[in-house]
Amino acid sequence: MSEFWRPDDRMALENDHPRYDVTEKVTGRAKYSTDYYPDKLIWAAFIRCPYGVAKVTNADVEAAKKAPGVLDVQMDKMDGVYCGDHLGTICAESRQAIEDGIAALKLAFDIGEAKTDPLKQLPPREQWANFTPPTGGGPAGRGGGGGRRGGRGGRAASPEEIAAANAAATGADHMIEAVYETQVQTHCCLEPHNVLVDYRGDHAIAWGSSQGTFAYRDQLTRPLNLSADKVEFHCEYIGGGFGSKLGQTPEGVLASQMSVKFNRPCRVLLTRKEEQLDTGNRPGSIQYMKIGVSKDGTIAGGRMVAFGIAGAMSGGGGVRAVPRYKMTTPAVSSAMDVTLSAGGVRPMRAPGAPQYTYAYEMLMEELAQSIGMDSLEFRQKNDVDPVRQEMYKVGAELIGWKDRKASKDQKGPIKTGFGVAAGDWGNGGFGNATVTVNIYPDGRVEVLSGCQDIGQGFRTLVGDCVATTLDIPYTYLAVKVGVSNLPNGPGSGGSSTSRTVAPRAFLAAQQARDGILGLVAKEMKLPDASKLKIEKGMITGDIKPMAWTDACKLINGQLTYTTSDLPEGMGQNTQSQCVQFVKLNVDTETGVVRVEKIVALQEVGKPVNRNTIENQITGACIEGIGYALFEDRILNAATGVMNNANLEMYKCPGAVDIPEIVPVIWRSDPNSPVNAVGEPPSVPIAGALGCAIYNAIGVPVRKMPMTPRRVLAALGGEKGAVA
Amino acid sequence: MAITQEPKTPSAPIGGDVSRRSFIKGIGSVVGAAAIVPSMLRVASAQDAPAAAPLRAGIRRYKATGQALTLKINGKEQKLEVQANATLLDTIREKAGLTGCKEVCSRGACGGCTVMVDGRSINSCMMLAVDAEGREITTVEGLIKDGKLDPVQAAFCEHDASQCGYCIPGFVMRSRVFLNENPKPTLDEIKHGLSGNICRCSTYIRIFAAVTAASQGVKP
Repeated sequence: MSEFWRPDDRMALENDHPRYDVTEKVTGRAKYSTDYYPDKLIWAAFIRCPYGVAKVTNADVEAAKKAPGVLDVQMDKMDGVYCGDHLGTICAESRQAIEDGIAALKLAFDIGEAKTDPLKQLPPREQWANFTPPTGGGPAGRGGGGGRRGGRGGRAASPEEIAAANAAATGADHMIEAVYETQVQTHCCLEPHNVLVDYRGDHAIAWGSSQGTFAYRDQLTRPLNLSADKVEFHCEYIGGGFGSKLGQTPEGVLASQMSVKFNRPCRVLLTRKEEQLDTGNRPGSIQYMKIGVSKDGTIAGGRMVAFGIAGAMSGGGGVRAVPRYKMTTPAVSSAMDVTLSAGGVRPMRAPGAPQYTYAYEMLMEELAQSIGMDSLEFRQKNDVDPVRQEMYKVGAELIGWKDRKASKDQKGPIKTGFGVAAGDWGNGGFGNATVTVNIYPDGRVEVLSGCQDIGQGFRTLVGDCVATTLDIPYTYLAVKVGVSNLPNGPGSGGSSTSRTVAPRAFLAAQQARDGILGLVAKEMKLPDASKLKIEKGMITGDIKPMAWTDACKLINGQLTYTTSDLPEGMGQNTQSQCVQFVKLNVDTETGVVRVEKIVALQEVGKPVNRNTIENQITGACIEGIGYALFEDRILNAATGVMNNANLEMYKCPGAVDIPEIVPVIWRSDPNSPVNAVGEPPSVPIAGALGCAIYNAIGVPVRKMPMTPRRVLAALGGEKGAVA
Repeated sequence: MAITQEPKTPSAPIGGDVSRRSFIKGIGSVVGAAAIVPSMLRVASAQDAPAAAPLRAGIRRYKATGQALTLKINGKEQKLEVQANATLLDTIREKAGLTGCKEVCSRGACGGCTVMVDGRSINSCMMLAVDAEGREITTVEGLIKDGKLDPVQAAFCEHDASQCGYCIPGFVMRSRVFLNENPKPTLDEIKHGLSGNICRCSTYIRIFAAVTAASQGVKP
């Protein structure tokens, strides 16, 4: 076992209690923005294009306006460029009236040819080895296995560099040339994107489902024509975001406009179908890899070409490539996005990284296989990160790697496979955040941050930082988050909320502690408070121990501490290394994959609350099972209509798909500050699953989702869909 | 009951091929309970159908606009004004003000709207409010007895079985009913028993732990 981890090591702040708001959630008392029904509520919605490409030939706006309950109908454009595109808006007394109004429009369309096949926009397959994007068309880069983040600027690789890279691959002892494909995954937030705006003339109150309290409020100020201090935005509870509730909110703008227009509270609530079509997705990818390897397991270098598959309105198909394995000559990578007549891209848990990691890890597996080396040994030989090197040892033991057998050495139709994959997540910089701690004479402590708890447990995190610093039972705490009139903080994107807010929470709590101890010292006529401390709810030191609640009685009114400063020692960057191991079974007669066990080792900086961290890690693993095995946005090839815009044919993982999962909270540096954990554990899982399936069946499945059909196709000798 | 009987009205044919959508949309003329679930038909025929008209069994007529229904929710009878095509889910949330059950997929694929009706768990988005008349409806809010959490709720708390929490009321209700039906389930039975509910944050492992713990605790 590693010196960095022991199974019984609490390491953390000793906080193992459930999240602060769990009772509200299990009793239904937690109020989400969908749960408010004010008087005189009106509803608004977008009139949407039902095809990938279509021109409106009839829209009877006058008839729609006359439909019972309809208040307002407006057509904004006549050309739809994706299924779900906004053609206009409608506002009505009820959801039923919205449906009736849209029916009365008697919309008719000329259906155009939708772009649904990315290959039609790409150069022929045989040119991919020498591919470099047209000028300005995408980034290029180099590094120990992949360029910089796709979709951003960069220098295009020169023909000489490309030729050298190709030569490095072909000149090695063995070479793998393969194409890996990933599909489009939708967020499927259970709470649909929704907002309720109540405009009241000189101010407005709004409730919305958002990953950024303050950014959302700021977007409402313009259509409301109010300054930010006149708009109070609430998102105390959010039913999942996964990245799709950051950024632009057309719903918020529409609800604001209609609330102003009719001087009534207006709600925009997407239907499940709209949610699938038009709230973003993880873009698909086609990744070409040509990499050489020597007999001793040294990776020679070569080419990595990534095509991101984005939606009609946006780019951002970027495949996020980071160097993880050593190469003799760095691989030369190129990237380009193609766009389909389909819903656009939004960030989704570790944007770009799972796509890339699937391809990269499958490639590593194929390289190891080609030289007959154990795939774990191959990674240990080539992984550049010392933390992951330690993780490999612990994880191998926990998953039982020694039981791994080649497919051909296993009897019977059910084959067992073991896989491993690595991941990481950049953690640059600290944004602004402010935390307030109030202490009242009855001993209550209020912790205030306007940041949102999107389910990751932010409310619990800031509360724990304060409760631990004060060393009082958390039952004294009231943590208030997710309202725009509370102290400012960042949006929940890029795994930054905890990292940014926790240092401020610690500092405010330290100031509060010093304040209370100062009051006690004064009361006890001590020269200063330097010898006093709080231990388990008691003030101790050179005095007779005093209960926290007694000390608080010394407070005149309330004590308030607010800080935006970064305390010393809390400002350095943290690491998010991770390694995941998978054990699974494949039925080679049916192609069905059953995941048996996952071991997820995750560096999280200073761990704060064990429950919230473990829940995020296991949740990311399970979402990864869905991504790797089941989920797929299926477009009608001719019309661009999404065939499975619902939750029964879009296959999210469910209870019966859940394996045993062992989350391991890793802390390599005891002085590391708090880090966030939303994104990192979703990086390696699809790669680890792909490698395990490869081990089980002896051939790679190079296209996700790795459905029974694709498993059988791979077994039948059909390698990848393109290569 | 606030349902008007007009037996001589000619009715549209009601058959198994009526989709839920067209069925609900067709309100204002005739509603047939037979198209949904046979058990509903039994209730309807016992209470409403004239004995002399077997061919019309289960067919009731409702006014298209505001209809006063009496629903017994969490032990309390409430008179609620609803549209005849209102789902039980919308009625519970909008009219009775109990917003614990959530609308997620609105077509019975996710279990987010699960409530208990006569002791069984149902997707309240798939049931019309009028079909719930005369039945015992329990929502997640109604599980609390004398200020104490139901053992299932307490176990969900103890095991931190929630992330964003949007699916949790549905999971709690389904787990309660499942444990009533199968008080000592195996892990495999729990998985199958909860397979109608989706948790996108994927807190499943904690949910299984909570249901296991509740199954070992006291029966309500």
